[in-house]
Amino acid sequence: MTKALRRTQVLLAVAALGAAGMFLGPDGWHGIDIGPVASAVLYAALWLFLVHLAKFSGEVFPEQWSQAEKQAWVATVFLALVSFHVANLLIALPDLGAEADQLRNSATRPLWLNLGMLIFGWIVIGSAVRRQDAGTVQLDERDLRVAHRASRFANAMLALLIVWLVVALVTLPEQSRTWLRPYIAANVLIALLIARTLLENIYTVWRYRRERA
Amino acid sequence: MNEFAVRNRIREFRAQRDELTQAALAEACGVTRQTIIALEAEKYSPSLELAFKLARALGRNLEEVFQYAEKK
Repeated sequence: MTKALRRTQVLLAVAALGAAGMFLGPDGWHGIDIGPVASAVLYAALWLFLVHLAKFSGEVFPEQWSQAEKQAWVATVFLALVSFHVANLLIALPDLGAEADQLRNSATRPLWLNLGMLIFGWIVIGSAVRRQDAGTVQLDERDLRVAHRASRFANAMLALLIVWLVVALVTLPEQSRTWLRPYIAANVLIALLIARTLLENIYTVWRYRRERA
Repeated sequence: MNEFAVRNRIREFRAQRDELTQAALAEACGVTRQTIIALEAEKYSPSLELAFKLARALGRNLEEVFQYAEKK
């Protein structure tokens, strides 16, 4: 394993720790809210990764990875982070009471900022990764076949998630009543779409790995 | 019952053509180098069109490069 690759793994591990810290919520770790520190750790790790990528463009990913596999990894990392934030929002919204019905409430305000930063980071890192293989074939029939399989898998998972949601609504009417409000329901639907895309990318990453094994 | 799979001799014919690199073969066939790696490892079966392109790039007949034979 090269030094650059090892550094990539360390940075991603630090980013994952930061994301996990953000997910702990206001009660945090042993009662201490580590959210702001965890958020700073996460974004610092992502920006360092970007600098690292610019400096060691050819060595950040293993050379046996195709462009589509690299993009799937980048998408998986960013979508996992987006999912963390959306899950946090869905947990916080029912506790807000009437405030949850407003488009701008105390739970969504920090979310938009975080999502904006993540999407910006995703675009920048994605285009930096794309530039690595400039001038060569970036997508071919094998990549398209993997993408097709991943899409079919993700659609099946989405159907299962919808069935699970319907069963939960029917069998747990009391608990689900807090979720049956237009704004929360809209966020649940968006979360389902994000989950579908995340699963599609996880499958893609797994498929490429399996083909190499 | 014996299981059959698409086997190939890409690596062997590549070596016979003055060690034609995976990257050069990939470029000649319009695919990524990773696909050539997957093909040589027999982790991927190509489309008929790609199979013809590979055979042409290696200067061989399709049947020489690819066989439908028992799995390893």
